[in-house]
Amino acid sequence: MRLAGAELIESREILPGTWLQSWHAPPIVSGARAGQYVHVRTTEAGGLPLRRPYPIATADLASGTLTIQVGSGVAGAVAWSRALRPGDRADIAGPLGRPFEMDSRSRHLLLVAEGPAIASLRLLIDEAVRDVRSVVLLYGTSTASQVYPSSLLPDEVEYVVATADGSLGHRGSIAGLITGYEAWADQAFAAGSPELLGAVARLAAGRRQRLGVATLGRKRGGGRPPAAGSPEARRKSFLQVAVEQTVACAGGTCQACAIRGASGATQRACREGPIFAAGELDWGQE
Amino acid sequence: MKPKRRAVPGIAQRRSPTVRVVKPAIRPVARPASSSPASSSPASGAGSSSGLGRPQPGGAARARIEPVASEPSLDAIGGRPVKLEVDLGGGLVLANPVIVAAGPFGYGVEMADLVDLERLGAIVTRGTSLKARGGHPAPRMAEVPAGLLLGVGLQNPGIDAVLDRYSTTWARWPIPVILNLCGESTSELAAGARRLEGVPGIAGVELNLSCANGSRGNAFGLDPQTASNAVTAVRRACDLPLIAKLTAAASDVRAVARACEDAGADAISAINTLPGLAVAADRRSPALGSGYGGICGPALRPIALRVVYEVAQAVTLPVIGIGGIATLEDVLDMLAVGAVAVGVGVAALADPMLPVRLADELADACRARGLADVAALTGTALPSKPVPGSNRGAEYAR
Repeated sequence: MRLAGAELIESREILPGTWLQSWHAPPIVSGARAGQYVHVRTTEAGGLPLRRPYPIATADLASGTLTIQVGSGVAGAVAWSRALRPGDRADIAGPLGRPFEMDSRSRHLLLVAEGPAIASLRLLIDEAVRDVRSVVLLYGTSTASQVYPSSLLPDEVEYVVATADGSLGHRGSIAGLITGYEAWADQAFAAGSPELLGAVARLAAGRRQRLGVATLGRKRGGGRPPAAGSPEARRKSFLQVAVEQTVACAGGTCQACAIRGASGATQRACREGPIFAAGELDWGQE
Repeated sequence: MKPKRRAVPGIAQRRSPTVRVVKPAIRPVARPASSSPASSSPASGAGSSSGLGRPQPGGAARARIEPVASEPSLDAIGGRPVKLEVDLGGGLVLANPVIVAAGPFGYGVEMADLVDLERLGAIVTRGTSLKARGGHPAPRMAEVPAGLLLGVGLQNPGIDAVLDRYSTTWARWPIPVILNLCGESTSELAAGARRLEGVPGIAGVELNLSCANGSRGNAFGLDPQTASNAVTAVRRACDLPLIAKLTAAASDVRAVARACEDAGADAISAINTLPGLAVAADRRSPALGSGYGGICGPALRPIALRVVYEVAQAVTLPVIGIGGIATLEDVLDMLAVGAVAVGVGVAALADPMLPVRLADELADACRARGLADVAALTGTALPSKPVPGSNRGAEYAR
């Protein structure tokens, strides 16, 4: 983790109530990987100065800039972000947390995102396209005006949209579309509400032995399973999820971001996460 | 093996003081500036010798500061030296009055590579119980005006695991580590305290009186009698400096503080979080998985000031003021109402460097006021003769 005084380069409203902020923070950009987050010190009027976690949406090493998506979602701080102007400085710590792991054999990536959580997957898209992997992005949101603009995505991505009211793309939840792609996908990555993640995780768990590239060339049950929480465990998992939690300290001390792990022990989203292999968490019953 | 000292509640004078030597982490001002100017700066003085600030059982006498030189010399950075040491009783002397309250720094080791821990007065660990506790279900945190609502549920790996993992590290640190002890019965508290006796690296115990006494009972700190029982049990179980952490939820904190003093506490810290509630976004349930949570942050500050003000008049023990401290002004306020030291809590989450910076700013504030000793800031706002307590309710609001 590195602390940096970052300078705001640009802030633009990409959706009603959602800003894409570009920060100049070279020490944080170097080494940043998809799925990791930064901890930005913000102040809300009348509130307590608090650091808030934002996934690194894009990172450009050459210019030393990273973007974060600010607005609705867990992190909030809308009033703070609205008041910022280019040239303003903020205290940013990062990159933090464990990243997504792509298997080198994965050619077909299925990405499932819901609403503002797409920020967690945005850098992964860049990394996948750079490695010439095919990407299908299933994106679900409430209504057409909240659909993530396709102009912000690389052309190579196949972008499938579902809205709850049917005003654009498919009608209903994005979870219903996954079955059409699960056999195609070598690996899947999901970010969104706990309900969506639970639905996707249960789907993947039901087909655990048949899905994904990591099981190819391996005898069933052969070899030692990778240690929970290791990069290997995420790489070999068909589904990886990005968990959204309020993170207060990001140092693993306050235990405020704890979620239930599969073994019954709690997992801290700030340290053991925010990216988990789906099998590492307890998804409960439907 | 030393015989255990027995404390009898209500008969304070039967206690003989525990004799410990704790060297101050900041060199006394009496050293001639020419001999070793560098060693009088806080940072190098603290880091230069190992075991500083550690209680030395069997030492000859409590370490007192050597007599102040008649002509104050300049310290390494050219400022007038300021005496920042604070005696918390029981032989626990802090290098400066700024400590990290229970919670934000965990067990300290998590923050060791980010913060100059040796420049702090002390670290209080997160709440630790005899047995491991899994904590409450998520979500565990909600934002409230000027604060946070936390419902972690005292998640910790249990006292044995904590000592096993961290005590050797703590023993190497130049600052005192105070363990925050929780428990659901006096016997559990006593059993936990017994494990701490003689463990290198533990400089003191802070007894969390906001724990519930039994699964259906009230918090210890709500009632003078249960508070006294808890302090007595811990006092009998271990010989370490004992700090009783009060809750502002008690109807009369002065009575609870006096009960703790009579039961053998060496110092008082006030206050813990206060119970609160936030509502989930869909308004179908409370926002936290635990239902109630503890309010912390600047929202607590006026309450903490009130409690410290009352307690400082009620007891002769040193008082550690905790609650919403985020700036130097807050520290000075807390000292003015009678605290000898302050604990920084949730503000250190957003800014881990804050406690160290406050200690530096406090020394500067003393210099700016021409004070040679930080103790001169303590109690300046206290009345000359004791005033009635605040338990007269809404009368003040009208």
